[in-house]
Amino acid sequence: MSESKSEAGLLVYILPFLAIVPLMHNQGWDSSEAAILIVAVPFVTFPVILVVGQLYNGHDTWKNKLKEGGILALGALGTSLSAALWIIYDYFDALPDFGDQHSISQWLEWVSFDLLQSDYTLTSETNILGVGVWVDSVTLMLLFVATFLCFLICWFSLGYMNTDPINEDRNHRFYGEFVLFALGMFGMVLADNFLWLFIFWEIMGLCSYLLIGFYYWKESAAYAAKKAFLTTRVGDVFLMVGLFMLYDIYGSLEFSVIFHDPSLHGAVDSAQLFWALLMMFIGAVGKSAQFPLHVWLPDAMEGPTPVSALIHAATMVNAGLYLVARMVPFVDVGHHGVPGLEDLGLIVAYVGGITAFMAAAIAFVQNDIKKVLAYSTMSQLAYIFTGLGAALWFYNHDEHHAAVVVFGASMFHLFNHAMAKGMLFMASGSVIHEVHHAHDHLHHGHGDHGHFDPQDMRNMGGLASKMPITATAMMVGSMSIIGIPLIGGFWSKEGIIAETWLAALDHEPLMIGPAILVILTAGMTGFYMSRMWFMTFAGEPKSDVVEHVHEATPWIKEPLIVLTVVSALGGIAFALLGATDYLSSSYGDAGHLKLHESTLMESVIYQLEHAFLPENQNLRLVGWTTILLSFIIGPVFAARIHGGPLSEGESATPAVSWLVRISGKFGSQDVSSLSESDLAEALENRLYFDDLYEGLLAKTVLPMASFAAWFDRNVIDGVIKQIESNSVSGSLQIRTITTGSARDYILMAVVGMLSIIALIWGISS
Amino acid sequence: MISLGQLNLDSETAFTLLPELVMLVGVMAIILIPNLGNATFRMPLTNLRVPILIGGSRFETTNDPRMPNRIATATFAIAFASSLLMIDSTSEEVGGLLRSDAFSRLFSAMFIGALLLVSVATTHRIPAKRNAKVPADGDSEAVTSRKMAALIDNRRQVDFHILLIMVGLGMSLMAMSTNLFMLVVCIELASLSTYVLVAFHKEEDVGGEAGAKYFIVGSAASAVGIYGMSLLYIWSGDLSLDALADKWGQMQGIDPFAAFGIGLMMVAFGFKVSAAPFHLAAPDAYSGASSPISGLLATASKAMGFVALIRVLVMITIPDFGEESFWFLMLAVVSVVTMSWGNLAALTSENPKRMLAYSSVAHAGYMLAAISVVGSGLAGEEGTRIILIAITFHLAVLVLFKLGAFLVLSLLETEGGGHRMQDLHGLGKREPLIAGSMFVFMLSLAGVPPLSGFLSKLLMVNGIVSSSAGTGSPSTTSVYSWIETVDPVFFLAAAIVANSALSLFYYLRLSLVMFFEESERPSRLKSAPSLRMAIMACAALTVMCGIGPASEWLVGLVTTSIDSLLG
Repeated sequence: MSESKSEAGLLVYILPFLAIVPLMHNQGWDSSEAAILIVAVPFVTFPVILVVGQLYNGHDTWKNKLKEGGILALGALGTSLSAALWIIYDYFDALPDFGDQHSISQWLEWVSFDLLQSDYTLTSETNILGVGVWVDSVTLMLLFVATFLCFLICWFSLGYMNTDPINEDRNHRFYGEFVLFALGMFGMVLADNFLWLFIFWEIMGLCSYLLIGFYYWKESAAYAAKKAFLTTRVGDVFLMVGLFMLYDIYGSLEFSVIFHDPSLHGAVDSAQLFWALLMMFIGAVGKSAQFPLHVWLPDAMEGPTPVSALIHAATMVNAGLYLVARMVPFVDVGHHGVPGLEDLGLIVAYVGGITAFMAAAIAFVQNDIKKVLAYSTMSQLAYIFTGLGAALWFYNHDEHHAAVVVFGASMFHLFNHAMAKGMLFMASGSVIHEVHHAHDHLHHGHGDHGHFDPQDMRNMGGLASKMPITATAMMVGSMSIIGIPLIGGFWSKEGIIAETWLAALDHEPLMIGPAILVILTAGMTGFYMSRMWFMTFAGEPKSDVVEHVHEATPWIKEPLIVLTVVSALGGIAFALLGATDYLSSSYGDAGHLKLHESTLMESVIYQLEHAFLPENQNLRLVGWTTILLSFIIGPVFAARIHGGPLSEGESATPAVSWLVRISGKFGSQDVSSLSESDLAEALENRLYFDDLYEGLLAKTVLPMASFAAWFDRNVIDGVIKQIESNSVSGSLQIRTITTGSARDYILMAVVGMLSIIALIWGISS
Repeated sequence: MISLGQLNLDSETAFTLLPELVMLVGVMAIILIPNLGNATFRMPLTNLRVPILIGGSRFETTNDPRMPNRIATATFAIAFASSLLMIDSTSEEVGGLLRSDAFSRLFSAMFIGALLLVSVATTHRIPAKRNAKVPADGDSEAVTSRKMAALIDNRRQVDFHILLIMVGLGMSLMAMSTNLFMLVVCIELASLSTYVLVAFHKEEDVGGEAGAKYFIVGSAASAVGIYGMSLLYIWSGDLSLDALADKWGQMQGIDPFAAFGIGLMMVAFGFKVSAAPFHLAAPDAYSGASSPISGLLATASKAMGFVALIRVLVMITIPDFGEESFWFLMLAVVSVVTMSWGNLAALTSENPKRMLAYSSVAHAGYMLAAISVVGSGLAGEEGTRIILIAITFHLAVLVLFKLGAFLVLSLLETEGGGHRMQDLHGLGKREPLIAGSMFVFMLSLAGVPPLSGFLSKLLMVNGIVSSSAGTGSPSTTSVYSWIETVDPVFFLAAAIVANSALSLFYYLRLSLVMFFEESERPSRLKSAPSLRMAIMACAALTVMCGIGPASEWLVGLVTTSIDSLLG
């Protein structure tokens, strides 16, 4: 505790950063002008951290006072957070002014010379490179998620990264890239056209590569970084093609142009638009790690744990969802959308359903605590994709009410998932960090490294008593992900499942596939999340290391506590405030967060009724099936296999002790025969997708690559070397003319003069 | 009111000629002030001391050897600011020989700006040393070098800065000249001063030799040019540019007197811009002179040549659009030879100063190619305007990065380096900021986006390509048929692009050795704060003038000036 106290003083250094926004407010600036700060401050900070870190590496002040740049990063992200909060506040405060005009300012124009544009070649009709800000309810939500989580994760990193000796003198690289990553997400969310969206999208791609490969000297990390980069690159190529097609259709990539009237009064060919949107969707699939481009995400766990939290909760994977959410105006036939794009919704929903189910299945057999969470991310994002798919379908069918509900639920699930998953990753980081620490402490000098994996849940168990805050956080986070009634994700997941079923039962029979898959996944989620918690925190310790674990590292607890509260209460609070209606208001009437009924009590009753007893009988059945599967069946099975009371004499904090006690009450079940089955092996091998892809690459890409390499080495380099040697010999020859004697110089000048005279003579006569 | 021949120096004229008058006052001040308090008066540029009746020894302040530099810097700063401000003012005739308009004022700002940088950069060369002696034959090496150091930095500073201001006066008046005679006289005023400046370190063999060669070849070229001018006079009977242009417009066919006159003047101007094959003395002069002076030759002196070329080629013989001018072929050939020669010779240069000299030859080639397109008859009114804007912009930003590169070498000269590639080794470790600036200069010279060198090259190639754009037959089946039908002008652009690719090799090689080679001397360079400041300013402006509002401002300024030239 004493260590933690002394370091709290370092927060003084971030005060100047936090003071920027209040000062601007005081000086009468407008929040729209502050929007640039969200990106600009991190953009200025990241090179500073990298350069200063390189110059003053190991310097005492830099290391202990500025935490190798961590404090600067925290300050910059604090500025972003405060500016984002200001914009959010202003948006609600001045809502009527924002009204239809979502784009709040256009502040920068790319260099454009009249000279080049007057009547010559480099003309462009619309300035596609203009930079501006686009703010609507989805933007605000994502902006809050990104800035808030980035700030907390950075805070967490101060403890997690700086106390690990392996990171010593390398942390400036981490913080610099961290800040760049964060600003990529901020910029992408704020961008008011697809081109800048794409640019920031790529910044994130770069940073994911850099950060996953943070431990680049480890072969597995370098491999994982490459894999993440290349896999998302496949999606990015499709996204780029999609954007080209979009530009071809509309002649612009600006939201304000495109979204204003996507059908251009019926002139847009729906088939062409379908392909453009499909290409963009494949880009989103790559970024959000959906089937079949999901293979990179589990490997991405090679990065430091804060990076996992950053990628999975705050930034990268949400980008794909955001992109799909931005497709709504194209399909919303109620508002100039182009009809005939229902198939797009179906495809999105199917990709989501398949990924959700597959990822949940693979998560069953994972023993690495971070891998479970990774697959859980895939699965939960897939929920959102399913919901967005249903929303696209409904919008295109002009089922406005259903569309709004499921779109809002999907976006709301994004929020709930981000908060819970950010916390879960940090909590898992806390576990890993402390287990690792305890192991180092215990085996100091024994040279026993390598055998022990601090991320393997088979080495844990019974941590509930050692790490009360982490255990509570993890419990709440898991509950939110599972969708335990009244907590976090429940409020959004219900909506997605119910509306998908509504689409399947009442409108489109083909929707039944995703509908069945997501409801099954709900139960499976209940199982694997509970399994993770029970394996880690309940039962008896499974290795001697775990006995010595303490929650002692500074900076780690605060974000966990904050996010526990947000995850536990955020869901219900925002549900009461009508978050789903609000989030889907972007493309319809201007929305506002407000109670649905006049008083709080009535609102609570309305929401509960809505959630548990919907009027539609089918939906009521679906809702209760989901609750049964996710709340009862999944967790109980997990408890039977992995649950159990703590060892004698240990007692957990009251917040979680009840769960530990209950987990021992369902008896136990031996599943060793099941775990040796072919199915389990297939799941452990991730359903052989990696093998399949690698086999395909070896057959197709590698021969082409080696041919290209041969061509490059021999033909291109050969030509260039020839040019080079010819130039050099020419150079040596031409320099012999420069003799250094003034006589020769004059001789040459005379030769030149005579040539001029001869030329003129020839022309004029 | 003072009357000087035709020139009535009333308050209005005085304001129009403000930058020149400021420089005149500056020269006077440099002549007078260092003598204040002394009983003798030293005649500038000589060793003569004329006794005057009052005074004893000099005052503390007037004795300071940094005084002339301060006066010169202040003079240039005021003159620079005033000519910059005058770009927007209306065009004014002065005394029948001069016209102050946006075009001439932009160029005088360019010249004086370059001189200001040179003047700032030479501050550090002035430690207070007196009674310096020329090294004798028998002196040991150490004594020689000590004497040499003292000698370079002695009170000849007065002379140095007088010459510098005279260069500024000559160039600035030259830009304003509306009469060919005045133009040549002003060029000579500036040139003679630069000859002396090149040979200023006459005690060093290189400097003396370089100055002598530069002077001899330069005089020969000038003589040819003046002969050409006399032919023009015989033809027209008037050397005023407007009269010449009128006469040219009325001419039927091409009068050999006029054509030869202009052709011979090309020799003189070709030497000024260092076009092949008149450029041969330039590399020697650049490497012999001190680096700031080399930078001056490569930028201001070259810009002066281009002003003359534009005045004579474009303004006198302003081509009927659609008709090929008689000088098109000549200039096109010269330009291609010049750029190729420059780049090829620079490729294997081991002396960075010579390398930069050849690179400067290559840049002259690019600009000559652009001018020749004006004569091709394809450009049209708008095309001519764009090409002139491109050239002027290039000359303006060249001051930043070419002079900046020479200033970096000048910093190396403070430790006696700057003549060998090895002197640049490891500069990235020794002086990261200076090496970074040098890297920026090199990239800009090579024309890498988003630096200003890229923008200027883009504008030039854009002008050339768009002039020839309509000519090729739009055959979709065969590239060959297009190549056969497209106007040869297009290949000037191709030559520029190919040469730029070639030039990257030596620019990047210089950058490479700064960062990847180990230095012989690991210590830091001399502090020389003003020089460093000048380098940083050049680097910052090189970036800013390539992208963003500053570049738009500069392009706007250049556009104004070209519009005023074309009327």
